[in-house]
Amino acid sequence: MAKETEYAIEVERLTKRYGDLLAVNDISFTVSKGEVFAFLGPNGAGKTTTVEVIETIRTPTSGKVTLLGMDVTKKKHGIVPRIGVLPQGFNSFDRITVRETIQYYSRLFCCMNTNIDGLIELVNLKDKAKEQYKNLSGGLKQRLGIAIALVNDPEVVFLDEPTTGLDPRARREVWEVLLGLKKKGKTVFLTTHYMEEAELLADTVAIISKGKVIAMGSPGELIEHNANYLALTLKPVDGKVFEIVRKMGFEPVLDNHKNVEVRVEHAYDVQEILNVLKDAGALYLGLDVRKPNLEEVFLKLTGEALRENQPNMEPE
Amino acid sequence: MNLRIISANLVVKLLNFSREKTTMFFVIAFPIILILLFGTIFMSQDNMEYHLCVQDLDQTKSSKESIKALEVNGNFKITMVDPSVNATQYVRENKVNLVLIIPKGLEKSLTRRKFFNDFQTSVTITYIYDPSSSSVSTKMDILNGVLAGVNQELSGMPPFIKSVKKSILTKKYRFIEFFVPGIIAMAVMTLSLFSTVDSETELRQKGIIRKLSTTPITRTDWILSNILYQFILAVICTIAMLLVSYAVFHVSLHIDAWLPAFILLDVFAFVGIGMILTRFAREAQSAAAAANAVSLPMMFLSGSFFPIELMPGFLQKFAKILPLFYVNEGLRAAMIFEDNMAALRDAAIISVFAAVVFILGIIATKWEEDK
Repeated sequence: MAKETEYAIEVERLTKRYGDLLAVNDISFTVSKGEVFAFLGPNGAGKTTTVEVIETIRTPTSGKVTLLGMDVTKKKHGIVPRIGVLPQGFNSFDRITVRETIQYYSRLFCCMNTNIDGLIELVNLKDKAKEQYKNLSGGLKQRLGIAIALVNDPEVVFLDEPTTGLDPRARREVWEVLLGLKKKGKTVFLTTHYMEEAELLADTVAIISKGKVIAMGSPGELIEHNANYLALTLKPVDGKVFEIVRKMGFEPVLDNHKNVEVRVEHAYDVQEILNVLKDAGALYLGLDVRKPNLEEVFLKLTGEALRENQPNMEPE
Repeated sequence: MNLRIISANLVVKLLNFSREKTTMFFVIAFPIILILLFGTIFMSQDNMEYHLCVQDLDQTKSSKESIKALEVNGNFKITMVDPSVNATQYVRENKVNLVLIIPKGLEKSLTRRKFFNDFQTSVTITYIYDPSSSSVSTKMDILNGVLAGVNQELSGMPPFIKSVKKSILTKKYRFIEFFVPGIIAMAVMTLSLFSTVDSETELRQKGIIRKLSTTPITRTDWILSNILYQFILAVICTIAMLLVSYAVFHVSLHIDAWLPAFILLDVFAFVGIGMILTRFAREAQSAAAAANAVSLPMMFLSGSFFPIELMPGFLQKFAKILPLFYVNEGLRAAMIFEDNMAALRDAAIISVFAAVVFILGIIATKWEEDK
């Protein structure tokens, strides 16, 4: 029997080894029911291994993982009908249409009442319903994968890197679908290496690096606790601005476009810098003040970037 | 086991197959092409007529009658060679493999022998031949047989040993009728083995197996639906081959419950082998190579194309450990000899083999990733 718990997922001291390789190293966390939980980390950090243990695909080396109150190593048959999974690099049968694919997975779950049209509409594939899988673009395939993950109306939905490899437009289309799931109150376990995705969608973010969870909290909390500063960027006319800011005791740096970037602790530091520059007659063409993002939190915590080639893209 | 899940899986596989033209070609058209190709070859062998060049140096009534006798008794199509040409040169220049030379004086010697009882008189027929040709020895054997008959007749004594042919079959069968059951067995093997290996490795590489492992479908459901799917394809393929065989070659084969039974056993055995191969050769290319390594010896050594009696002794022994040999034998026992006991014996052997490899295949098939 599954015990009632406020948590959809409980991971206690989970370790997973592949021979000599330690993929996941003694991690613990919980995911509350109804929340969107993002597992954020670079490639090879241990995200997929962790999620596949929770999904019952892999067996842990040690530790305990409970999903909806059931031990994942012992209750696969009880767990599977209650979860939906979009695996990493989702694929389906090439010559089966969108509608037939959803019907097929619905039959595997023996769901008599799956609203196939409703799912097709949810993922915005109405005009592609009769298209064969092989003819779909990457974004459409991922949206179909999400629809399939929902055929059994699951209590917990696992989405393993749902937007990896998609172009910015396709990525936004998938995000819209995920925001729809969030509105429906589904528990969503999302693994991603896109910080924008985690920031936009997640209630809780766990940052994983080299098999270890190194920070966890809401995106705001993570930024507040780990990157509590403001980033001031000035577009100077000459070198005067850099010199003045340095003399004020700050540590300015020049970026690739010769903009002066300064990290300050408080808003009044920004005001003070601007006043000094005005009094000194130092000219600048523009300025920007912003809070740090999860990318910078990750950089600070791990000293490494989330992705090697980060696309220049902002969420809607 | 869940019938709803099995039928869902079966429907998807059949839909995918019906929309895949290349697969359809290899499943249906390829075995038909094999039947047509080999059928045509074997039909012409059944009515084999050899080409023979004859140089008549005697140019008499008797020599002409002898040539006519060769044409009729030896089933030869005769081409006459001008007596003035050099026969050896003729063989080289005209790329023929045999010229038979009737010597001058044949009629004269024959007359002395028949009418004057001069038993010392004889003539020598010369064969000018190209030893590099594979069919020339067969031609010379036939000619020697015809000449032995002539000598026997000339001796004036009835032969001491006579021979009579009695077939074990009630009807007269041609080689094509022996060939069709072998091709059915071989086509079903190839279909089951390669289809299993190809689809399992492709689905594994594309991550579809991983996705399926997060649904309620079990290994048993998956494998049973795969067996059903392969069986349906095998039946379609067999019907196509039989229709062509009946329509084009007018074969006479006995069709009863043994045919679907052997097809099912063939499918079970080779789907099982396919599942085992997929477990150990996980990449599509290496799995296909492994399937080839299994299927090629089966094809050529188990008696699908030609009787194993034509092979050396050690290969005949080896053939008897190949599962396809028992499918071939069983199908021939049922479809040609109508020998239920022999079919039952072969079915029992292949059943045991199929059960063992199928169970091993189930054990080898893993849904979960490496633990």
